[in-house]
Amino acid sequence: MLTKSTVNRAKRPAKPITLVGVDVYIITEEGIPMFDDYGAFKIEFVSNRGTKVWPGYVSDDLMMVNWYRCRFMATRPVTDADVDTFMVSLSKKWKWSAAQKLWNYGDEAGFSKAY
Amino acid sequence: MGKHVITMLPGEGTGPEICEAVRRVIDHSGVEIVWEYEDIGLDCLKEHGTLLPEKTIKSIAKNKIAIKGPTTTPIGTGHKSANVTLRKMFDLYANVRPAKLIPVLKRPWDKIDILTFRENTEDSYAAIEHMVSDEVAQCLKVITWPGSVRIAEFAFKWAKANGRKKIYCVHKANIMKMTDGLFLEAFREVAKKHPDIESGDIIVDNCSMQLVRNPAQFDCLVLPNLYGDILSDLCAGLVGGLGFAPGANIGDNCSIFEAVHGSAPKYAGMKKVNPSAVLLSGVMMLRWLGENAAAEKIEKGMNKVLAEGKTLTYDAGGTASTDEYADAIIKAMK
Repeated sequence: MLTKSTVNRAKRPAKPITLVGVDVYIITEEGIPMFDDYGAFKIEFVSNRGTKVWPGYVSDDLMMVNWYRCRFMATRPVTDADVDTFMVSLSKKWKWSAAQKLWNYGDEAGFSKAY
Repeated sequence: MGKHVITMLPGEGTGPEICEAVRRVIDHSGVEIVWEYEDIGLDCLKEHGTLLPEKTIKSIAKNKIAIKGPTTTPIGTGHKSANVTLRKMFDLYANVRPAKLIPVLKRPWDKIDILTFRENTEDSYAAIEHMVSDEVAQCLKVITWPGSVRIAEFAFKWAKANGRKKIYCVHKANIMKMTDGLFLEAFREVAKKHPDIESGDIIVDNCSMQLVRNPAQFDCLVLPNLYGDILSDLCAGLVGGLGFAPGANIGDNCSIFEAVHGSAPKYAGMKKVNPSAVLLSGVMMLRWLGENAAAEKIEKGMNKVLAEGKTLTYDAGGTASTDEYADAIIKAMK
């Protein structure tokens, strides 16, 4: 009979993990947020409900809500401490609801692109 | 009515041969259309390095209306869906899919006439996914108040304009109390403004079971993106499969009409695939343009061919090619 002690937790083959950026969810009523230079991180895109609104094709119709996903990619090898410093700088100007570190697993990005 | 300029997106696989057959039928319906052919999809990716070239985007943005053949989206990895990209880029928030019994296809029900209104831009299709550890993947389900209100408003307006009587909101708000709860709350607010249409709600799992047991009880369904994707295919299956399932993606400034089936690459070039789904999408497009006489003519022609049963494609039990089936419809339209 199958018992708890005989069930092994499935393990996924490990891959090297590299911190490469951070997604920050920013709340603003001022339209598409524009960012200063943050040193270790550079803005790559801004999306609204997952649809890219900057850079590229933009229609006002796409700015449905006041919540923007802002993807910042590292401009050099970074650590968690760099993310902490970055978030402190960002918080001085922007209200944000959540942040998600972006990692590569081996050669693969562990995060989706915006539409 | 005057000439219409419409962007034609043949897509890939069997798409070009289907779209050519559909164009011939529509051109014989009496409506005046200038077709602008543009590339989209996998072949386009190989040739231009993008699924959706700038020229295609400009054509759709200019004409504000397009009809599209099937495109392929790889599973699990690879490029993003051209369909979802178009829906998001042009904010085509309402996916409308009718499921109506086709006379020639024998089904175990006497009556099915269901309209699904799928919210087309939000939910787990927001494409916000992360590997939050090496063992855990996370997808954000995004439901917004403005997005939920506008799909509900759209459904009630469409229902009213087309003489429909009853709309149900499909959800799982008993479990997803925030996301589906918001969708349901928005639906109820909108429903208050439309007392002439009966409204209610149903949990998605129960709705699935009820659709299979007694589909005649349903009229119009409004659903968040994922449930809409699944249940609209279920409804298509009830009436005869994806070969006869048209669809419209509608926004405030642009509309794209498309079949919901795939590109069937293994049949590409064999000219044996049923073009009915794209043709019926074309019929929806003509009605959207106010070309009701042309739409009626095509629909009657197609139903006549199906009722005669002599010139059917393989999926409907015949041996006719895509072109022979289209020719038969053109002949029946005269």
